[in-house]
Amino acid sequence: MNLELPDVASDFGAAAERAFTDAGGVDLARRAEERPVTRSEVVAPLLRSLGALDLQVADDLDTALAGGELCRVAGRCALPYPVTAVLESGGGDRPPAAIIDPLLPRADHGDLFPRWRLAAIDGRAWDGRPEGPPLGTELGPFVVDMATTVRPDQGDTVDVPMLVTLAAWQTLGTLERALELAVEHVNTRQQFGGPLARFQAVQFQIADATVAVQSLRELAHFTLWRLWAAPLDRLVDALALRAHALESARDVLRTCHQLHGALGFCDEHDLSILSRHAQPPLRLWAGLEATTEQLMAAIDHTGFDSLFGAGATARAARDG
Amino acid sequence: MDYDLGEQAEGLRLRLRRLIEEHLPEGFLGAFTDDPEDLAITQRFCKLLATEGLLAKAWPAEYGGGGGSVWEQTVVREEMWAHHEPRGPQYMGINWVGPAIMRFGTPEQQALHLPAIAAGDVIWCQGFSEPDAGSDLASLATRATPDPAGGWRITGQKVWTSYALMAQWCILAARTAVKGAKHEGITMFLVPMESQGITVRPIPNLLGPHHLNELFLDEVSVGPDDVLGQVDHGWTVIREALKFERIGIARYARCDRLLVLLRDALGGRWAELPEALRARWTRARVHARAAMVLAYRVVDAQAKGIVDDADASVARVAATLCDQEVAEVLLEALAAQAVDDGQTRHPVLHGAVEDHWRYAQAATVASGTIEIQRMLVARAALAGEAR
Repeated sequence: MNLELPDVASDFGAAAERAFTDAGGVDLARRAEERPVTRSEVVAPLLRSLGALDLQVADDLDTALAGGELCRVAGRCALPYPVTAVLESGGGDRPPAAIIDPLLPRADHGDLFPRWRLAAIDGRAWDGRPEGPPLGTELGPFVVDMATTVRPDQGDTVDVPMLVTLAAWQTLGTLERALELAVEHVNTRQQFGGPLARFQAVQFQIADATVAVQSLRELAHFTLWRLWAAPLDRLVDALALRAHALESARDVLRTCHQLHGALGFCDEHDLSILSRHAQPPLRLWAGLEATTEQLMAAIDHTGFDSLFGAGATARAARDG
Repeated sequence: MDYDLGEQAEGLRLRLRRLIEEHLPEGFLGAFTDDPEDLAITQRFCKLLATEGLLAKAWPAEYGGGGGSVWEQTVVREEMWAHHEPRGPQYMGINWVGPAIMRFGTPEQQALHLPAIAAGDVIWCQGFSEPDAGSDLASLATRATPDPAGGWRITGQKVWTSYALMAQWCILAARTAVKGAKHEGITMFLVPMESQGITVRPIPNLLGPHHLNELFLDEVSVGPDDVLGQVDHGWTVIREALKFERIGIARYARCDRLLVLLRDALGGRWAELPEALRARWTRARVHARAAMVLAYRVVDAQAKGIVDDADASVARVAATLCDQEVAEVLLEALAAQAVDDGQTRHPVLHGAVEDHWRYAQAATVASGTIEIQRMLVARAALAGEAR
């Protein structure tokens, strides 16, 4: 048992966070909304200088954890870049990857690359290319409609569980930061002659959000470890994490908005940017209920490993 | 990073499951029933565990323990709670009364009490809560006054006091000074339950027999050597004890077991359940997994000697809410059979779901209410000290 992140992962995360902060933090997202080329002109070189675009997350757990940390700190500042998509591909000439709803194929930041590797949650794969510019909506500023063509072969498959897992790490970062902002706000905002934090109704909301964030963090760590430890259970474990991430995001972002009052809706405040930019990974291809349905199907198929339930990997080991 | 508990701990898990299978009757739902045989089963099981060196597996060898790791201790807690605590009331002695005596007891108290707990020979109860001191425990009013003949005389009333009719000893908090802050002037006593002046009255309740009692103390005489820790400094002992108690029960383990068992038990009926309910079952499995890894984080900190109050409370909030969520999901899945207990004809899982639902009502009240846990978590978060 060793629950500590390896230094290689925490150091990489810390370096990435410093670099993102120095480059403007959440302001990068604001600038990208004004000038979408900020993503390729500023953010991509920044990631390249960190070595993030060459990280081989498929190689080993420690590198994957470094990738997880990168996603988490990207989530903390709503970094305007498809970090999970490029991490999954491992860089080079390999196109980035995204999971799509085949009925309405869309990819966050789809316009940044001419070719994509797209997959449905059931593993069906397509080649994809962007169809037009980003939607530019409040909740999907860089969401792009994608044209799909069926692959002649299924050769270069998308690592769906890895994408799902890394996206949850990104959500974790957003929730961490949103909660920090809420704590800061209720500690400083004075109403009725004192800080909001002195009200128990406020304290309890902070407590519940803290439990949700810590819970998601532990499950994110556990799940990334499971991707290596239980290779036959990767999809079911990743879906379980996604369900937890979506549920936590719904609750924590709602709480943080409530505690910020009107200030949290204003784009001059980081919470509004975090909350808006967090939506595409939470909504594209499946929301909470649809994810739960997929998880149910995956449990039927694979089992769900636990103290009293055996996943496919454990069953295979038992049966020799 | 590695969540593997290790061969030794997993070996222990298999060994415990074998012992449970061999020595507990099918459908065993714990010691707290009206049938004295259920208590007898747990007494025999504790002796068996002690003989096998498993009862006090994680205690240091010098106190009669097995010197096991905190992860082995975790496995014991998980397996015991998942299987309806076949240690009966003795889990309390192992989980926190013993550790509190190790930490605060005199060598004589340690010699008297620890081997008996480790051998499975003694049942403890806890005299903390009072009619006017629940969450606000420091308001307790039971008085201990110096006896001119030496020692103390204790008078007052305790409530909750699970297993009081089964116990030989009580770890009891009483007020020894009335000046200063209310959490000052409390002293912990180790009181034999056979003492003159002790009366126990069971309170019929939803949780089941033996869970709730009133304990009346009328001029109960205890010796000077029965004080645990320093006079007037019992609050330190209580805080430490509650910290042990908070992570003492692996609620997620029983949740997981019942979620798995019920689906199997329902057979073909499972597919006919409303999809919304099956979705809730699915999410409950994830919540049980999350509660488990949160608990592991606290155990890991404990192993490193850095247990943090707020972390323990975070884990506890998650585990107790999961407990109640699972209780609702399972009871709903049983529909009309939800009201069956172990005594009706053909209850599903021998009434384990009904039993779980009833006991789950206390999950967010016992050992510090969820409101207290939330206050502890919020305090740390607002001070920037939460992880």
